[in-house]
Amino acid sequence: MNAYLVAYTFRWSIIHPAFDEHLHGVRVTLELTALSTVLSLSLGLVVALCRMSGFRPLCYLAYIYIQLFRALSLYIYVLWIYFGIAAGIGVNFSPITAGVIALTMLNSAYMAEIYRSALGAVDSGQHEAAMSLGFGRRHRFFTIVFPQAFRIAFPSLVNQFIDIVKDSSIVAIIGTTDLMGVTNQLVSYYRAPFELYTLVAFFYLTIILVVSGAAALVERRLNRHVQ
Amino acid sequence: MSSDTGPAGASAPAAAGAPTANAEIVCGAGLNKWFHRGRAHELHVLKDVDVGVRKGEVLVVIGPSGSGKSTLLRCLNFLAPPETGTVTFLGETLSAERLPRLSVPARLDYERTLRHFRTQMGMVFQHFHLFPHMTVLDNVSAAPIRVLGMSKQDARERARAELDRVGMGGKAKVYPSQLSGGQKQRVAIARALAMKPQLMLFDEATSALDPELIGGILDEMRKLAESGMTMIVVTHEMGFAREVGDRLIFMDEGQIVEQGPARDVLSEPENARTQAFLRAIL
Repeated sequence: MNAYLVAYTFRWSIIHPAFDEHLHGVRVTLELTALSTVLSLSLGLVVALCRMSGFRPLCYLAYIYIQLFRALSLYIYVLWIYFGIAAGIGVNFSPITAGVIALTMLNSAYMAEIYRSALGAVDSGQHEAAMSLGFGRRHRFFTIVFPQAFRIAFPSLVNQFIDIVKDSSIVAIIGTTDLMGVTNQLVSYYRAPFELYTLVAFFYLTIILVVSGAAALVERRLNRHVQ
Repeated sequence: MSSDTGPAGASAPAAAGAPTANAEIVCGAGLNKWFHRGRAHELHVLKDVDVGVRKGEVLVVIGPSGSGKSTLLRCLNFLAPPETGTVTFLGETLSAERLPRLSVPARLDYERTLRHFRTQMGMVFQHFHLFPHMTVLDNVSAAPIRVLGMSKQDARERARAELDRVGMGGKAKVYPSQLSGGQKQRVAIARALAMKPQLMLFDEATSALDPELIGGILDEMRKLAESGMTMIVVTHEMGFAREVGDRLIFMDEGQIVEQGPARDVLSEPENARTQAFLRAIL
């Protein structure tokens, strides 16, 4: 026991029994990020459209949303949603739900700004050409403007996705069994923090490399018309 | 087969009060347009302009830059709605004046008329504005599918015919970025024609092209005029104006300074401003 306090001895063999637990954690992390990403991608677009709409109240509302949810850290949101809302209005969220809501709020605000700059970057001539052909608002947006804006926004959205993967580890503070949560539990059981945190780093790295590799393929496809 | 005959006319939907042979197909009355640059700076770009084109007529609009030529075109299809005045096209009248902001039925009616105007007026831009994320074929067939509600197959067939007509049949599968300026403009013309419009608006269609490519586009426009298409052409090509134009308008500082048969105005301008302009560019 004394030896443990004086000199840390690495016990890499811990990794093997911990592996199954970690795989479960990977699944939860992927669920958490996938759900938050899809929700913030759609909510972000809605907020961006409100922000750009000619209807003033909607525009201000979106502005407030963006400013408010970008301002604070995820840590605070997670605690507020999980404990604050439960104490305040008695709605109990599961840790995962609370995590998804917090991740979505924060990231949809960022994504709204990404969308807004991308939509603004589409040449005004594209709007005009579509209008001159009689396209209605909806078709003009979905057929002409949005596909071009999405291509422009894509690299930044991938960045944002990577942030979500990493930020999802913060949600572990309210006791989710995601990668970080599982690791924290294992660490207190096996008392081998370096080994286990190294392993978790390897998992995060793998997830992000795989996803950004896939994103590169998608990006190439999105850019196929550019010479 | 159908590509040699007139693009408009026969296949156009029978609009209420369809114009007879010599009636004006489009008519703008009392058009005024201001551009707002900051609070104090208002630019009066179109001052009480009246303009009309008869079916089958080619109207050429010339004038120095900033004289309101392009704005006039864009007022006719409401890309830039005139603040006052009305546009009558195919028996329907549209005005942005007194459009109640909050009345939903009025808005819907306005949108519907607007849509009708735009589907029947083709526009060709100086900078082409092809949709970069679509192939040439999709560029031409998108509006017939989305706006006219044609089936994909019919729309593509029509798009191919229009592309053949402008000599771009071989480039259907290509993206716009792989085309030269002249080819892009041909596709843009085909895209506008695929809606089977009654009127074509050309907004300096050759101004962004290399000199050697200008002739080809002008030839396409000439062919279109000969097929009986009604056209309003904003251009700096005086040779084209003289040969193809039936009537000519000279604009300066937002007003029509002089108008008349194209040849007469170009060879014997009466207004001093017109004379100075023509001297300067010829």
